[in-house]
Amino acid sequence: MKKIKKMPYLWFILPGLILYIVFMMAPMLTSFYLSLFSWNGIGSMKFISFDNYIKLFTESRSFDMFTNALGNNIKYVLCMLIIIMPIQLLLAYAFHMKIKGYRTLQLLVFLPFVFSTVIVGFFVMELFNPNFGIINTVLKNLNLEQLITSWLGDRNKAFPIFVAVAGWQGLGVGMMLFLSNMKSIPMDIMEASEIDGAGAFSKFFSVVIPCIIPSIINVLVLDVIWGLTVFDLPYVIVGPNGGVNGSLDFMNLFFYRNAFGTGYSGEAQVGFASAIGTVLFVVILAISIFQTNFLNKIDLES
Amino acid sequence: MNRKRSKGWNFVSFILLIYVVIVLFLLLSTVFASFKTKSQLAESIVGIPNNPTLNNYIQILFVDGFLKYMLNSVILTCISVAAVLMVSSMTAYGLARYRFKGRYFLQMFFLLGLMFPIQLGILPNFLLLNKLGLVNTFAGMVLLYSANISFPFFIFFKAFQKLPASLEEAARIDGANEFSIYFRVMLPIARPVFITVGLITFVNLWNDFYLPLVFLSKDNVKTMTLAIQKYLANFLKNWDLVFPAVVLGVLPLIIIFIFGADKIVEGLTAGSTKE
Repeated sequence: MKKIKKMPYLWFILPGLILYIVFMMAPMLTSFYLSLFSWNGIGSMKFISFDNYIKLFTESRSFDMFTNALGNNIKYVLCMLIIIMPIQLLLAYAFHMKIKGYRTLQLLVFLPFVFSTVIVGFFVMELFNPNFGIINTVLKNLNLEQLITSWLGDRNKAFPIFVAVAGWQGLGVGMMLFLSNMKSIPMDIMEASEIDGAGAFSKFFSVVIPCIIPSIINVLVLDVIWGLTVFDLPYVIVGPNGGVNGSLDFMNLFFYRNAFGTGYSGEAQVGFASAIGTVLFVVILAISIFQTNFLNKIDLES
Repeated sequence: MNRKRSKGWNFVSFILLIYVVIVLFLLLSTVFASFKTKSQLAESIVGIPNNPTLNNYIQILFVDGFLKYMLNSVILTCISVAAVLMVSSMTAYGLARYRFKGRYFLQMFFLLGLMFPIQLGILPNFLLLNKLGLVNTFAGMVLLYSANISFPFFIFFKAFQKLPASLEEAARIDGANEFSIYFRVMLPIARPVFITVGLITFVNLWNDFYLPLVFLSKDNVKTMTLAIQKYLANFLKNWDLVFPAVVLGVLPLIIIFIFGADKIVEGLTAGSTKE
């Protein structure tokens, strides 16, 4: 007891540490353990070793679902990085350059941050519902009925719409991170390049971007993780089955279906779901390690 | 820096204006629609209502129990935010202000959580809480939220690192015990950080959907996000009731946003600049 009294920091750290280990870290390991069993959650558990993984990768039905879902996740991440992130960078730069009305515009671009994904899903319904939605109603009133489609029900349109909506929701946060990093660029660097005759755009590429590499890395890492684990928005918009033909199916939806069972796909398969979860965990881990090495190199070089 | 008046920037302002108009249009449409009856909505989903009626609000609040769901959200979120602030600040304080072996390891350990979202461990958590009889309870939810402290921890950690050691030493000389130092000296100075982290956590937890979806299936404990989603899922049947639900769900946060937006931004951007 005497030794503990001499370590006051222990009392500060212990509660958080216990909670963190019990509810965040241990579950990751337990998840892997569960994946070695066949279990529907209520009955008995049957040890089947790696059979769940074999089923995931060889049985055509599950493997197709798996590749479709993972493919969607990867497509989504790439869209976020290639389409949305540049927009966030440009917007941040525009605000940094103090365009007209930037104070109000900044806040309003950030506003969607306070919208729950349920609210965002609602806006999607409000706009895109084929029968009552605003878009189709307006098109009808403008006599442009030939443009009316089922939007989210259309296999080809669903994904782009989803990316646009998710981008809309996430635009503000990334932009704010970039903007704050831009603000910390020392004034003399900016002025020096102006003196050298650099216009706004070349300043952007040769001065601003290299200086905000830390926040770019930050946003990149967050986008990858969020992209690989997206769940709320597709669930709210199209339900746990991932929409028409799995056009909006993602790894976490696939996991959820199997973990808790929905009427459509039958009873819960805890072991199988845990296998999916573990695979996703490994994917995230691999990408994170790769990212850390790759991005550290860039950070050092800049 | 001169304000750029070139065509290029004005064009960007213009595009942003359109973007903002869309957001405001969506919000306003929703508000207007919440005052319309089903038949009025069928006529036109947009536009100012002719005979605004409070029926929808009365229906969801008192008949359907939306008031209960909102209260659940308020109670759960407030308790959870308090818990998160307490746990994460204490942990960050312990790691930031004391030197001991294994300190760096623990710091990295807590930051790992930033990389691994909570969904991956949801099944074991469910099984554990089930065994403890804490499914469908607020207590269970608070425990889960209090464990997910990587981000608040990170913010507090950076903040506490910056506090001057002289204050601590002065307090020690005066004979204060460690917890007193924490509570009476360091906390008051770090108040802005608490406000910021509190606001961000509040928004995140109020809007949380996944955890309530998994752990709060009994009707009397459901939160507002679940209630809205239920209306959405039954869109065709209840679509006139979705609008007031959304308005009520979004209103508290918009109010918080109007008063606290800059603090929220401050907190979110704390990690990305090299200090």
